[in-house]
Amino acid sequence: MRFAIRHTGCNAERVGILTGFTRLPNASIETPSAALLTQSGSVAHLTAEVLAKVFSNPQLVWVPLSNSAHLETGLKAQGESLAKFIGLSESVTCATLHCMNDITPPGHFEVDMVPVWTKHGKKMINAERYMELMEVFKPDILLAIADSRTTLTDGLKRNTKAVDRTCNMLNICVKKYKASNYLKNSLLVGVIAGTGTMSKCKNCIQNILTYREAIGGVALAGLTDGTEESLNIGIDKLEDIFKDINKALPNDLVKFIDGCWSPDVVVTAIQYGWDIFDGSYPAKLTNAGHALALNFDVNQATTELCLLDLNDAKYKEDFRPVLEGCQCLSCKKHTRAYICHLLNTREMLASVLLSIHNLHHFDQMFVHARNNIASNTFVIYKNHIVNQYMEYKQMQDKAKENVEKPESESEQAKKKICVSNEPVEA
Amino acid sequence: MAFKTPSLSFFVQAECKTTRARSGVMKLPHYSVKTPVFMPVGTQGTMKGLLPEQLEDLDCEIILGNTYHLGNRPGTDVLEKAGGLHKFMSWKRALLTDSGGFQMVSLLKLAEITEEGVKFKSPYDNSEIMLTPEKSIEIQNCIGADIIMQLDDVVQTTYQDYNRIKEATERTSRWLDRCLKAHKRPSEQNIFPIVQGLLNGELREKSAREHMTKNVNGFAIGGLSGGESKDEFWPMVHLSTGVLDKYRPRYLMGVGMAIDLVVCVALGVDMFDCVFPTRTARFGCALTSKGQLNLKQKKYSMDLNPIDKDCNCSTCKTYTRAYLHCIVTMETVACHLLSVHNIAFQMRLMQKMRENIENGTFPEFVHNFVNELYSNGNIPCWVINSLKSVGIHI
Repeated sequence: MRFAIRHTGCNAERVGILTGFTRLPNASIETPSAALLTQSGSVAHLTAEVLAKVFSNPQLVWVPLSNSAHLETGLKAQGESLAKFIGLSESVTCATLHCMNDITPPGHFEVDMVPVWTKHGKKMINAERYMELMEVFKPDILLAIADSRTTLTDGLKRNTKAVDRTCNMLNICVKKYKASNYLKNSLLVGVIAGTGTMSKCKNCIQNILTYREAIGGVALAGLTDGTEESLNIGIDKLEDIFKDINKALPNDLVKFIDGCWSPDVVVTAIQYGWDIFDGSYPAKLTNAGHALALNFDVNQATTELCLLDLNDAKYKEDFRPVLEGCQCLSCKKHTRAYICHLLNTREMLASVLLSIHNLHHFDQMFVHARNNIASNTFVIYKNHIVNQYMEYKQMQDKAKENVEKPESESEQAKKKICVSNEPVEA
Repeated sequence: MAFKTPSLSFFVQAECKTTRARSGVMKLPHYSVKTPVFMPVGTQGTMKGLLPEQLEDLDCEIILGNTYHLGNRPGTDVLEKAGGLHKFMSWKRALLTDSGGFQMVSLLKLAEITEEGVKFKSPYDNSEIMLTPEKSIEIQNCIGADIIMQLDDVVQTTYQDYNRIKEATERTSRWLDRCLKAHKRPSEQNIFPIVQGLLNGELREKSAREHMTKNVNGFAIGGLSGGESKDEFWPMVHLSTGVLDKYRPRYLMGVGMAIDLVVCVALGVDMFDCVFPTRTARFGCALTSKGQLNLKQKKYSMDLNPIDKDCNCSTCKTYTRAYLHCIVTMETVACHLLSVHNIAFQMRLMQKMRENIENGTFPEFVHNFVNELYSNGNIPCWVINSLKSVGIHI
């Protein structure tokens, strides 16, 4: 695997290209980019046939063990590769431990073991077992096993344990990786844990960097456990972390970020040199019945919010596409009214059409990011995206306030009635 | 042999010399449909997670929508503004809608049928609603399908009371007249009358003969496939296709199992619909010419074959049984993959029948089909008897 940086912008943002995958010699992944999140090996709601209608070039698919460990028996029988087994032979596969859209409950650790929360309950897994599974999965890229699901509000004690455990497990992963005939040709990614305590986090980075010859990339974790609170930590705090940790890393590593981050966070991370994102965000939008509708043209004023809640009955007779001008299959053929109807009737096609749009549109955000980096206009683009998202957030907060107020008033009214009724009933 | 009207033309291209089977083309306002045809059911304006272009790739030429469901959601207002169901769901080929009457009776316990129509309580707001023949046609005119169904008086197929069956059969004829009178778009949409009479041959024959006198472009055979035995079922189909003229298409409602399709094509039926292929897909079942595979079963966990190695659908080209075993009844993708395969199976079966009818080899095809499906030799009596009635001796 080769990673070449083609252009670095005014800050640390950069355009790169991943090539030389042993299984797919002709495939290339341009960065910055987002992977496609899978569930049981399939991109959620999309068959290989439909996915091919959305993307013509090879994509990076993200395969969390927490939702795909049950593929082991079949994969073993097949003996070739994960990509072929899941019907996505032309895609580059990246295996990892957790699905970023799931909330990881705290605790449940054992010495040198981490819990994986699957549909069939909790499974304890150590580095040996993880690498044994990787040997069966045969991914093109693998993230090392780590104690990675902590948040920025976790304290020193928790982060110390997270880093110790992560370092120990990485040591085993590297050993197994080097010893494996298949895996040593794939890209091994070290995972940065304990991010809530910078000194500990730096220890984790140091340990990763002792394996420079084996490790081709790093993944920044330890930021979120999947809860809303951890994801809403605020862009300022995250910005500092993206900046500091990037500075502590050599330039030639591919830099991944784990987590279901909204567009404002993603473009901020890109500005500080982060290359690959896990793709859980568009999947989360789809599951909520939301459609992403960012305006990528910095010269054009935005007229609508950048997120549409198509569950809303106001779209019932809206025969426009989700996003005017969008070139995705859903927007070229279908309307907001139709998707609204499909959501209302709980039809599976709603998720299919939303997935198509959200994955296409999220990918377009990266296409435009790369173009803007190449033309040294990235900061303008970044601010354009951040502003749109902020506007949406503000509107949402306002809407929440409006909803909460009358509710509390009516509750008060109820209480009053209760109080006044009491003596009568008594 | 051709039957021509502005809204429906039916060209019989080949007739089997032994059985009543025929192949043809039914030209409808939105598409020319090759018959015999299987019509997958897309109840609420969507085919269970499949894109319209996938259905086109699968060679679906006509699909169904349910009037009752569509009338409720999205409702006629929205459909009217959208310019009909074709535009609303972005489907360019032919559509057929039912009358809504069947859902009233099957879904709603509180339905009451009078001469005026079907009275029922709305499950949405509990208000009382009257579905009359006129109302059913009004909604179907708004949906805009190529073929629409008359409202019929639906009685459970296994119902025994002669007087009630007689009443329902006669009322269905009276309601047909009201439907035809209320029809606002006869140049774009075709009302099919429904042959009723349940399992009573005398009433069914009378119903079919009466429908024959009406100015209609095709016929439906209703009141079957509702829990009756196969021995009771096939003679009613045989009787109906014997009375209905051969110039207009015949549609047998609610039938879609492979063996039923083969037998009923031999009995002279041109059109079928059934939720079975897509419903069974959601439960993890795949259709093959040797029967169904339940992919949930452990024996498929290491099976690296496709569902059917002779199937050229996108599912069989890409996925193994072992992978499908991992995802059935768990991921929506599994439903989509099995729906694609199962619809492809139905379409291929119909295509094979058309080819064999055209080549004059239909009886041989039926022999081979029956022998492959019942490779253990246990061919059901009803299959033997029904095929014997049209000259195929298994």
